[in-house]
Amino acid sequence: MLKGFRNFLLKELKELARDPKILLGILIAPLILFPVLGGVMGYVIQSAEESAAKANFVVINNDGGEWSYAFIKFLLNSGARIFIEENVKLSDDKLLELLSKYNVTQVLEIPSGFSMNVTTHTKDPNIMASVKFYAHITTTNIFDAARSLPIDAVVAQFNRALAPDILNVKKSTIIKGEIKHNVDPAVVSGLMMSQSIVLPIAIMILLLYSIQIAATSVAIEKEEKTLETLLTLPIDRLTILFGKLAGSMIIAAVGAAAYIIGYAYFMQSLISRASPSFVMDLASLGLVPSFLGYVLLGTLLFVTILSALALAVILSAFAGDVRGAQSLVGNIYPIIFIPTFILMYIDINALPYAVRLILYAIPFSHPIIASKAVVMGDYVTPVIGILYVFFFTVVLMYAASRLFATEKILTAKLKFKWLTKYGKATEES
Amino acid sequence: MMEAVNFVASMAVEVSGVTKIFGNIRALDGLSFEVKPGEVFGLIGPNGAGKTTALRIISTLILPTYGTVRVFGLDVVKNADTVRKIISYLPEEAGAYRYLSGWEYLEFMAKFYTKNEEEIRKMVKEAAKISGLGERLKDKTSTYSKGMKRRLLVARALMSKPKLAILDEPTSGLDVIHSYHVRETIKKYVREYGVTVLLSSHNMLEVEHICDRVALINKGKIVAEGTPRELKEKFESENLEEVFAKVVRLA
Repeated sequence: MLKGFRNFLLKELKELARDPKILLGILIAPLILFPVLGGVMGYVIQSAEESAAKANFVVINNDGGEWSYAFIKFLLNSGARIFIEENVKLSDDKLLELLSKYNVTQVLEIPSGFSMNVTTHTKDPNIMASVKFYAHITTTNIFDAARSLPIDAVVAQFNRALAPDILNVKKSTIIKGEIKHNVDPAVVSGLMMSQSIVLPIAIMILLLYSIQIAATSVAIEKEEKTLETLLTLPIDRLTILFGKLAGSMIIAAVGAAAYIIGYAYFMQSLISRASPSFVMDLASLGLVPSFLGYVLLGTLLFVTILSALALAVILSAFAGDVRGAQSLVGNIYPIIFIPTFILMYIDINALPYAVRLILYAIPFSHPIIASKAVVMGDYVTPVIGILYVFFFTVVLMYAASRLFATEKILTAKLKFKWLTKYGKATEES
Repeated sequence: MMEAVNFVASMAVEVSGVTKIFGNIRALDGLSFEVKPGEVFGLIGPNGAGKTTALRIISTLILPTYGTVRVFGLDVVKNADTVRKIISYLPEEAGAYRYLSGWEYLEFMAKFYTKNEEEIRKMVKEAAKISGLGERLKDKTSTYSKGMKRRLLVARALMSKPKLAILDEPTSGLDVIHSYHVRETIKKYVREYGVTVLLSSHNMLEVEHICDRVALINKGKIVAEGTPRELKEKFESENLEEVFAKVVRLA
């Protein structure tokens, strides 16, 4: 054993374990973050299973023949809950009316001639029967990707029972009230799912970067003993605060841009290796935000970053050095991570009311919620988000400016006596 | 170099009945003293006596709990922004921005006092001379020794020719040669530019050498005040160190 190692190790352990900021950080991750994430994932899996078990269809039987009823039986046997309509002339408007009437997102049409084609197939294998499947995409929930899977399973089962390739499905997707013919909803959902992951991750990285940089920029002034000099210079304290916020924001934006570019290359390389049928242009489907959507999203992101920066500045004012500041701001990471991971996989409207309220109360949720809303042409959500986060930011900025305007920026300290009996000693050292 | 500020005052610094309480610690307890314009005033006392707290209040960093402080007639609480235009504060444990060169650091600081490029250039040149760092000013401050950094900071504090320079342990960490150089620079600034200096120091030789008047502070109060000669006579001592020891022991 190295001479003096034990002694040194003990000192290290005492220093680290007695630092309440570190203790708080290492307790929060395992005791709060992981159980919450576990709960979320459990909920996601459960709701996915439930939604798969009770797939709801409107079946329009325009055939009326023997085989059409046989197919409907297959559907019922698969566990699907179905509403049957007969002899409906299917137009775009009628389709939307049926979706609304039965409050479902999937419509299956058994076209006229279905039974005849099934019968003919036994004589001429080139003749195939087909059903038309329409899926309404309303959210960017990850499990939308599985939306056309139940119908694929029923068709496969039907083909196994009768003859291979006797039946095929023609799939269409309904997006923002418009039917996109021959567009597989699973492919659209897959693409949207990748979008719904990319953006939250980019936003999360941007927020984390901003917080880290802002906290460091204040704490380093304390650690390097430059803050006292700075505060006695003929310069407005607000100038110092805004200078720090702006500097942090610029550096964070550059860092985030580098991440997004890297991630875009990563996605590009994935798509270029995917089959041609997968490669679809979301813009042509109207599934990218409009100019107004981008403006609203950008504004919301801006105020959210400002709020994160102000929060980081406030917390770091209570730390004596960079390590202390990093530990302190580490405690706000869960309120960024948790909404990000939840909203990446679940649409907010699919969550229980109480969880929804908590997520809406967290300002860092709003850019993620809005990023999904603007894709669907919903501009009210980002506007409400902007107003809420702006209010939150104003409150935080006021608190930060008060800290900078007074001696608190030099003297403020957090005490964690409840966490450790050594709290006072370590904090005041 | 300093922005013109209109003030008429018979005293450079007037500290009157100042008390500062941090939690349950009374750092200053009715502290009172005055500094005349153009003099070098030394604040000396044992560790924890309240010297730094007093200097921090005078330099507008922290607020007094009770009492008033005026700098050239300006209240440091009510007129903090104006006071900051006429003072320069050198904290005891000040640092410089590690990723800036010495030259960049001085330029950065000079720009707070004037927008005129020529004045900035003059100010930085002056500071370069005071610091004696020469070519090393082009290097990042993270490569400086403690003494080099201190010389840079003293230069920063004096380059703007403030009405009042508040220097907390100006020669802390400096060797004999550089301490001497800094003391001579301080004296020169007082003589040539009329700068008033309020300093704290643990070096009694230094205090005796450059201070016109001295105040001994203990437990947040002034316990003795006068010129070094007056104090030595009063306490029948050969030097200030002896005076200091006697006063603290008496207190």
